[in-house]
Amino acid sequence: MSSLAKEKDISDQIINHSRSMISIINRNYVYEKVNATFCNAHRIVNESVVGKSLAEVWGNATFQDIIKSKIDECFTGKTVRYEAFFHIPESGKRYFEVVFRPLALETGVITHLLAETFDINDLRRSKQAVIDKEEELRKLETNLPIGFLRCNPDGKILQVNKAFLKILECQDEVLVKNMNLKNFYSDEGFFELQYKQLLECNTKTFGRIYLKNCKGNEIPCRISGIMAFDEFTNPAFIDFAVEDSSRELMLENRLLQAQKLETVGALAGGIAHDFNNILTTISGYAEMLKDDLPKDSALSEKVSKIQGAVLKARSITNQILTFSRQVEQEKIQISISKVLKETIGFVKSSIPSNIIVRSHIPKKEADVFADPTQLFRVFLNLMTNAIQSMEEKGGTLSVNLAIVDGKLVKHELSKDIVADEYALLTFKDTGKGMNPSLMSRIFEPFFTTREVGKGTGLGLSVIHGIITEMEGEILVSSKKEKGTVFYVYLPISKDYPVLSAKSERRKKILFITGNKFESRILSLALKNTGYELIYISDNQHLIKVMASISDRPDMIIYMSDSKQIHQEDLVGIFNKLKINTPCVLITDPNLELSEEKILNSGIIKQHLIKPVSLKEIRNAIQISLK
Amino acid sequence: MPGILIVEDENELREMLKISLLRRNFTVLEAANGKEAIIHFKPSITDLVVTDIIMPEEDGLKVVMKLRELKPTLKIIAISGGGKAGPGNYLSLANALGADAIYSKPFSINDLIAKIEELLNIEQNT
Repeated sequence: MSSLAKEKDISDQIINHSRSMISIINRNYVYEKVNATFCNAHRIVNESVVGKSLAEVWGNATFQDIIKSKIDECFTGKTVRYEAFFHIPESGKRYFEVVFRPLALETGVITHLLAETFDINDLRRSKQAVIDKEEELRKLETNLPIGFLRCNPDGKILQVNKAFLKILECQDEVLVKNMNLKNFYSDEGFFELQYKQLLECNTKTFGRIYLKNCKGNEIPCRISGIMAFDEFTNPAFIDFAVEDSSRELMLENRLLQAQKLETVGALAGGIAHDFNNILTTISGYAEMLKDDLPKDSALSEKVSKIQGAVLKARSITNQILTFSRQVEQEKIQISISKVLKETIGFVKSSIPSNIIVRSHIPKKEADVFADPTQLFRVFLNLMTNAIQSMEEKGGTLSVNLAIVDGKLVKHELSKDIVADEYALLTFKDTGKGMNPSLMSRIFEPFFTTREVGKGTGLGLSVIHGIITEMEGEILVSSKKEKGTVFYVYLPISKDYPVLSAKSERRKKILFITGNKFESRILSLALKNTGYELIYISDNQHLIKVMASISDRPDMIIYMSDSKQIHQEDLVGIFNKLKINTPCVLITDPNLELSEEKILNSGIIKQHLIKPVSLKEIRNAIQISLK
Repeated sequence: MPGILIVEDENELREMLKISLLRRNFTVLEAANGKEAIIHFKPSITDLVVTDIIMPEEDGLKVVMKLRELKPTLKIIAISGGGKAGPGNYLSLANALGADAIYSKPFSINDLIAKIEELLNIEQNT
């Protein structure tokens, strides 16, 4: 074999054993030579390609659309590269990088071109995998509920995710990227401190830090940082994970608050217990003294003052015990919307003209397990507070009742869910509002914003106790000069047994009051107890009822706020008709002169102090009707 | 006259109850806590017990249970001022255990005496 032939054989072998498909194409777009790899890949024999045009091999359309222009370009002397896919028998669609190189003669004339085709499927696959992974990571980072940011060692922000923008309350990523992290720290010099610490230990979790966001709100955040270094061990950038911990902080505070109230409650309850003992001793001796003194004497009157003071003190110890949930409550199943409607009606009857009360109460009835008189007190107190906060400037009180799913409520409450459904009552005013430090204390007993001497400061703490006793919860949110919202969650009760009627004959109870709303609450409270309640608010009617033996009630409950029927009228009727119907008087803790008079007149068998509970009323009725 | 046992850990209050009952000519026995009441209980001369609920040593509920056991015909009145031992329905519990009447402090002493007389079937002459 000549050395030339040997040389050709070697180069043919090299060409045939190359992993790329190699072919030589002439100016007529005809294959002049193909290597073995080309033939093997296309499952063809050499002879079926060589001498054939590219149009014949790849189809005219492919040739015209893709290949021809590339070949023409190559014949101008350029190396042309492009990616294409071919359908390879048995392997299907595969990607290749095609390189056309001009083959020039010694004269410089290009007569042929060398086509090399590399299988790039694996390369493409790994490239795609990298892209996919990157995309996945980017998505994760973007949608991570934890804020992420990368900044350079000076604090200039390089990259942020959605969660971080959310914490900042800013939608403009570009704006944030141009800022420095230092600007967001409430404490000056904090970034420098972080930088120093990260230099020492690379990663660190920093305690609770306040970030000032784009809206100027201070957000408590938990921040941890990782510092990355370049090849010269200089800091390259810092990655921060930023977690908004305001909810956590809020729940923590609420728990603290609950614990504090529990402690104060236990303490106050103990004190109230001791005071009740002392009050019993005082009232006992006062009673004995009064029995010993001639009626209507000046001394006896002084003893009455002592008794009056005892009643007042008793009302306070009672409230403290209600707050600390150490008073027995008699609960019944009661429609919450009915109690709410009556209370709204009551409030509306005495509202200043610059205040509007709006209410939304669903038609669907829902029952709660409660003492209706206490429920009335809760609603009344919240509405009165709201109205007082709007007294000067006027405003709107919105009262809403909604029935909500217990599962949804779970996230709002700091205690376990006890019912499938909850009544959610909202009392929203547009009044003075409060600052956060005030708001955190309003449920504490004896905490009041009013002047010293006005009110005992027990109102909201008592309400807190009543609601807690019902296994509900009261929450508040407020903004200074904007207004306050109270949220009351009460579990809806389903199957509590109703109180059974105790008396055989329906006993008639006459209820005298100036306030029809309160009387309706009472009637709700006493419904199903077997009593017949009659209401009277004018004198004529009263005389008529009392004069007739058949209509005469078995007992009377007299609320001293009755405007039409005065105490003297009642005493007068009793004396004139010479009747001895048991009479229960309900008054405020501060007795007025006329109230003292009726107490001393002898017609009152029992005296209850507001706020009265259902239990007290029922006890009083049972004693009177015995 | 019927014998009445007062079980109350507050000295002044117990004293007041004693005086008010003595005025009505009752025979009065005293105990400063539940344990004392149970140990020194004299069934033959005790017709009625007025007991506090929350007390050191044995509490009032134990007293109600134990004394009823020792003398089934004994009349029992429970009194309580709430508090101290945390939320609890002590009075209704006392009721369930068999107290004949229950009172929340502060109560009217005349009401209590009227109740005592009623329970002991004494002609009331007020």
